[in-house]
Amino acid sequence: MKFDNIIIGGGLSGLTCGIKLAEQGKKCAIVSSGQSAIHFFSGSFDLLGKANGEEVTNPLESMKSLPENHPYKRVGLDKIERLTNDALHLLVRSGLNLNGQADRNHYTLTPMGVMKPTWLTLSDFTSFDQKDSFPWKKAVILNFSGFLDFHTLFIKDGLKKLDVQAQIKTVSMKQFEAIRKNPSEMRSTNIAKEFDKENAIEEFAQKANVLSDGFDVVILPAVFGLFNKTIADKLKEKIEKPVLLLPAIPPSVPGIRTQITLRERFQELGGTYLLGDNVEEGVFENGRLLEIRTNNHGDIKFEADQFILASGSFYSKGIVATHDKLYEPIFGLDIDGDSNREKWFDEKIFNDQAFMHYGVKTDQKFRALMNGEPVENLYVAGSVLGGANPLKEGSGAGISLLTSLHAAEQILK
Amino acid sequence: MKKEIFEPYNVSDNNFEQCVKCTICTVYCPVLEVNPDYPGPKQSGPDGERMRLKDPAFYDEALKLCLNCKRCEVACPSGVKIGDIIQSARIKYSKSKPKLRDMILANTDIVGTMASTFAPIVNTAVALKPVRKVMDSVLKIDHHRMFPKYTGLRFETWYRRYAEKKQQEFKKHVSYFHGCYVNYNFPQQGKDLIKVMNAAGYGVHLLEKEKCCGVALISNGLIKQATKQAKHNVEAFKKSIVDKKMPVISTSSTCIFTIRDEYPHLLGVKNEEIRNDSELATRFIFRLIDEGKLNLVFKKNYKKRIAYHTPCHMEKLGWSIYSTSLLKMIPGVELVQLESQCCGIAGTYGFKKENYQTSQEVGKPLFDQIENSKVDFVATDCETCKWQIEMSTSSKVQHPISILAEAIDVEATMKLWQK
Amino acid sequence: MNKNRSKEYDVIIIGGGATGAGTARDCAMRGLSVLLVERHDFATGATGRNHGLLHSGARYAVTDHESAAECIEENMILRKIANHCIEENNGLFLTLPEDDIAFQSQFVDACTSAGISTEIIDPKLALRMEPSANPDIIGAVKVPDGSVDPFRLTMSNALDAKLKGADILTQHEVVDILKDQDRVNGVELFDHAKKEKVKYYGKIVCNAAGIWGHNIARFAGVNINMFPAKGSLLIFGHRVNKMVLNRCRKPANADILVPGDTICLIGTTSERIPIEEIDNMYVSKDDVDVLIREGVKLSPSLATTRILRAYAGVRPLVAADDDPSGRSISRGIVLMDHKERDGLEGFITITGGKLMTYRLMAEEATDLICKKLDVDKKCETANIPLQGSEKSDETLNNVSQKVYSVNGITQKSAKDRHGSLAHKIAKGDENEDSMVCECEGVSIGEVKYAINELHVNNLIDLRRRTRVGMGTCQGELCACRAAGLLCESMEEPGKAKDDLANFLQERWKGMSPIAWGETINEIQFTSWIYEGIYGLKPDNN
Ligand SMILES: Cc1cc2nc3c(=O)[nH]c(=O)nc-3n(C[C@H](O)[C@H](O)[C@H](O)COP(=O)(O)OP(=O)(O)OC[C@H]3O[C@@H](n4cnc5c(N)ncnc54)[C@H](O)[C@@H]3O)c2cc1C
Ligand SMILES: Cc1cc2nc3c(=O)[nH]c(=O)nc-3n(C[C@H](O)[C@H](O)[C@H](O)COP(=O)(O)OP(=O)(O)OC[C@H]3O[C@@H](n4cnc5c(N)ncnc54)[C@H](O)[C@@H]3O)c2cc1C
Ligand code: SF4
Ligand code: SF4
Repeated sequence: MKFDNIIIGGGLSGLTCGIKLAEQGKKCAIVSSGQSAIHFFSGSFDLLGKANGEEVTNPLESMKSLPENHPYKRVGLDKIERLTNDALHLLVRSGLNLNGQADRNHYTLTPMGVMKPTWLTLSDFTSFDQKDSFPWKKAVILNFSGFLDFHTLFIKDGLKKLDVQAQIKTVSMKQFEAIRKNPSEMRSTNIAKEFDKENAIEEFAQKANVLSDGFDVVILPAVFGLFNKTIADKLKEKIEKPVLLLPAIPPSVPGIRTQITLRERFQELGGTYLLGDNVEEGVFENGRLLEIRTNNHGDIKFEADQFILASGSFYSKGIVATHDKLYEPIFGLDIDGDSNREKWFDEKIFNDQAFMHYGVKTDQKFRALMNGEPVENLYVAGSVLGGANPLKEGSGAGISLLTSLHAAEQILK
Repeated sequence: MKKEIFEPYNVSDNNFEQCVKCTICTVYCPVLEVNPDYPGPKQSGPDGERMRLKDPAFYDEALKLCLNCKRCEVACPSGVKIGDIIQSARIKYSKSKPKLRDMILANTDIVGTMASTFAPIVNTAVALKPVRKVMDSVLKIDHHRMFPKYTGLRFETWYRRYAEKKQQEFKKHVSYFHGCYVNYNFPQQGKDLIKVMNAAGYGVHLLEKEKCCGVALISNGLIKQATKQAKHNVEAFKKSIVDKKMPVISTSSTCIFTIRDEYPHLLGVKNEEIRNDSELATRFIFRLIDEGKLNLVFKKNYKKRIAYHTPCHMEKLGWSIYSTSLLKMIPGVELVQLESQCCGIAGTYGFKKENYQTSQEVGKPLFDQIENSKVDFVATDCETCKWQIEMSTSSKVQHPISILAEAIDVEATMKLWQK
Repeated sequence: MNKNRSKEYDVIIIGGGATGAGTARDCAMRGLSVLLVERHDFATGATGRNHGLLHSGARYAVTDHESAAECIEENMILRKIANHCIEENNGLFLTLPEDDIAFQSQFVDACTSAGISTEIIDPKLALRMEPSANPDIIGAVKVPDGSVDPFRLTMSNALDAKLKGADILTQHEVVDILKDQDRVNGVELFDHAKKEKVKYYGKIVCNAAGIWGHNIARFAGVNINMFPAKGSLLIFGHRVNKMVLNRCRKPANADILVPGDTICLIGTTSERIPIEEIDNMYVSKDDVDVLIREGVKLSPSLATTRILRAYAGVRPLVAADDDPSGRSISRGIVLMDHKERDGLEGFITITGGKLMTYRLMAEEATDLICKKLDVDKKCETANIPLQGSEKSDETLNNVSQKVYSVNGITQKSAKDRHGSLAHKIAKGDENEDSMVCECEGVSIGEVKYAINELHVNNLIDLRRRTRVGMGTCQGELCACRAAGLLCESMEEPGKAKDDLANFLQERWKGMSPIAWGETINEIQFTSWIYEGIYGLKPDNN
């Protein structure tokens, strides 16, 4: 099977890269062994939240202080601003509604009740200009009875620090009785599936309106709109007060919707999306990757002019650790990371963990290195890249989006 | 790159332990959504397996509600074989004995042999309302179900009488695993396959006595018998593939999936020697075209708007791309790719009275998609999906091979390789 | 907690390990007024950091006849009185090709003379009984080994003691021993919750602080020669073996694989450490490598089984008084009457021994206490079952009806964990049955029961009572749910967030030495959830 480009990994980076290439008329395929990290998405795309231990207000400005081998630096700071615009537009074209800008972080409230800086936030959620000012004084936090994955007391505690008076109330609805009977399944996506059926939203809104009488804002878990893309908006229309949604324990309802939106965009552009298939190995010749072999397709080869590796970090198995080595499991590419496992971690969980920085080594053009030599047509994008701790920096989605657009541009050149 | 150099060491070989508890599988399980009695893939699979290893008493009979659609596996980012874990647990721990009804539904070939011999009687009988009511109350086979019609002339008989001789005329040959459905209910699909393969230059042969692949036996807990049939089939496949160097193709995604993957994973029947050369006809044909060894010529006047439904086992195999690619090659076809969703029937599952409602609720989103798609008909690779969709929507369903058979200009295609 | 500070207790027991809790129970059953004090939580010392092997005594048969005989006797008693804390798995002593098969007959003879029943089994049959064993074995002997859950055992003793009138203080650390001339008459405690010092008085102070008994004795001005021996273990993700697997040779590193609850444990190493290090238990890379290398010889499938955690504990070994070098270390029970030994009245020390001889240790200590107090009552702990272990079938049936649950997993898990006490798990609406911890099947009802009745101060305590966070995900999903519930009952959300952060740190401590494979995937994922999405940081709360 012959394509112009084949992308390994169907997460945020694989999909953005695929959409960009397909928009330019390339015949693309994405092969992904499973669902991706977007399924856990908080609702906010981070660009840079922290640098040198300081909270960042202007990511574009603060990037200058990052180390030279940081993916942003390697993309080139001169290109970053343009790429952030491209990324935003690509996401919007795909059908996502987003707020935020690259030269000024805004804040979102986390389920622990703290404010976190970020770049782009789905319109489901509320973006705040300031970290310490909350526009409302009296909040009602609504939870569904029996729903354990939304931590109302933590939120209330956080709001107290912002001088907000909050009260917690629970809502019971007969639509959830069936799920509640199942001891492991009163979870956000199952609640969302009930709301997807639309009639529940009406009833819920009525209840919420009664319960929010006398309050300025209604705080709810983000369980609206899984496969049905209009539910979150309907909810906001029907509730008389401003609605503030907060993430619940993953999987994330808005995250899954985001994944579906991007995947549909890619398919509408003619892209081939193969889920549940694992890329196992490649055939190389003279420093070029000719074809890849996958678990499902066996001897039917998948050929392309260029390939993009966007297979994610450890949790997606883009890189693998055993007791004595780190490796990239598909091609055995060079890894940027220590081979001594005692160096991988720090005793304190909340410290900067070395393994979070590990990834596949590339040359300046983001082409993968194999035994020290670049593979001419194999680009690397997203969290499979090394050189940054996206968790500590708050740069997860930013790195994925910008490096994959950068890779796409190299290919389109 | 050879992977042996990365020999695993405390990277779990016990596949269920690869689970990082991300809970994604539960989002995609079609049963969980409609039946709260089902513990869901995560609980039934990796979580439950750990408990069962502690004490088999943790086995929960509710695991039989699993459709074995494997959609959870397709979604899992950690490569956990959730469906296999659940089915293996049923095999290992279930104490409930299969009911008479389950035996009847499971033994597709025996029932098929009897039924097709007396086809006219059986067909009218099972179609009659009172009979269906009896089946409902006595056998717990839901009365909404129409049994697929049994044919009077079995495919095998037809083949021996009318097609066998001609197959020797070809230079290249394949064997055809037709499956119970083609044999007893819908020989036309087998005839279409022969037409297409002959056009492509291949003679089509039957295996030395094929047995039902056993999928229904497995799902109804008749493991001994399933294993026996599996061993028999593997031997029959070997005779064709190893001895005669003839690959085996099939038109049933479920049969092929069972033979390739469930035999080794669930029944422990080894199939390495035959696995790679046992595949779907659409994949076989696609490969020929992809490698430049075959060109198909299509009729000019074939014009259809077709929706393709990805059966669960095709989703798991990842092979619907072959069927859709072939359909897209037909100039007059406008293909609508339906969002991949389970139709709810899952073989004999949906026939059981206790599952009827679940089954229909699972399929509802798919049925809505089909009704809204405004197509001439639906294409799919699975016969049970066909029953379910035809029963639950206004659409007719055709197999991609049958569509090809209708759209191909046989003579023109043959000319290309004959010269 | 104003626990009768003016009151003079008959006895104050220091240390909430199995020994301390067992002694508290025994004393209370004999009618004494008891105060049990523990600096952290029950089973946070050696009791919660051992192998959980209910020895048949076979391991010691050849080298230490006395310990072996003690073990088998206690083994049989615990089967009667603590059945919900133990699993009667039986054990195999395997001879590998590299071991001397001649040892087997010596071993069997020694067992027989210690009263331990043995059965030599054909290796082929042994492999059928225990398919996970190394297929190369050339010999196998079956013995009545078992597994014991130290958390449950300690908690049941403490609960029983409480029921019989004992007062219990956790999070209270002894910082001094109060004396009136040459007589001990109380303890000074630091209350970790309130951050203040308090004094309690008693006629007798019993030092049951395990290896830390060394420090307690110092407070009292006497010297005990303790020789800390660190042992490391690995926890595997699930039960690989049904029976305890031992090597049939002289005891050495990593030669026992114990199945316990949902997991199995390989151990141990043994290494002398300086007394200053007893609070700093880390597992080195070498320890981990040795454990895997040797463990694989017992059961080859361990090479590809997920490892959940590594941990280490310190054995409270005592050198004989006339041997300060520690060359002749006793592994047996050590009971010291400091009146006799050091001329200090009102102070005794009970240490050494093993987890599974805790009851005997408690009996001996209580006998001494009673003698000192002139109380004439017989020990009954060998006959009266612990709460939760009452064995009548009727109780068990009642339990299964009473535990509110439509779900087999939470119901059965609760019964396994709490025995007949599971009936205390409230019958509520189905909300109570919802799972907090999906890996270990812990329901809301069970968490609430633990919080209300089992002395839970924080998430880590809760884990010891219910196994929340002990499963495959090591707290990734359940920690936050449990924190939410704990927070409800404490009404101190700020603290609950710190507690959550501490809990994750505590989990990471055991994961970091084996952070590769699924563990590294899991921790990366967990960190993204808590720090990334939730914004949980120790300095944020
Ligand atoms: C729980 C969690 C929450 C997060 N939340 C946020 C957030 O709120 N905001 C933010 O900015 N960032 C967040 N991140 C960071 C996140 O990692 C990045 O934002 C981004 O989603 C990573 O995308 P990716 O495409 O590089 O990798 P992934 O999303 O990990 O995708 C990699 C894909 O490759 C596939 N794959 C791997 N190996 C193979 C193979 N051999 N063959 C085929 N396919 C393969 C995997 O199955 C996977 O689908 C979060 C991360 C996690 C884990
Ligand atoms: C690696 C290892 C493996 C083992 N395996 C087994 C086995 O398989 N089977 C078996 O039977 N035995 C085993 N043992 C032995 C067994 O663990 C111990 O003998 C037993 O647990 C000792 O219990 P204890 O109550 O005496 O001491 P501990 O459990 O150590 O209790 C002492 C308690 O005192 C508390 N404390 C300390 N200082 C103070 C203070 N100042 N104020 C208040 N409280 C204080 C501590 O917090 C602790 O909770 C093993 C030991 C180790 C180290
Ligand atoms: S195989 Fe299908 S029905 Fe069974 S658990 Fe997985 S998704 Fe659910
Ligand atoms: S999707 Fe896979 S890794 Fe995630 S919970 Fe399900 S089985 Fe586990």
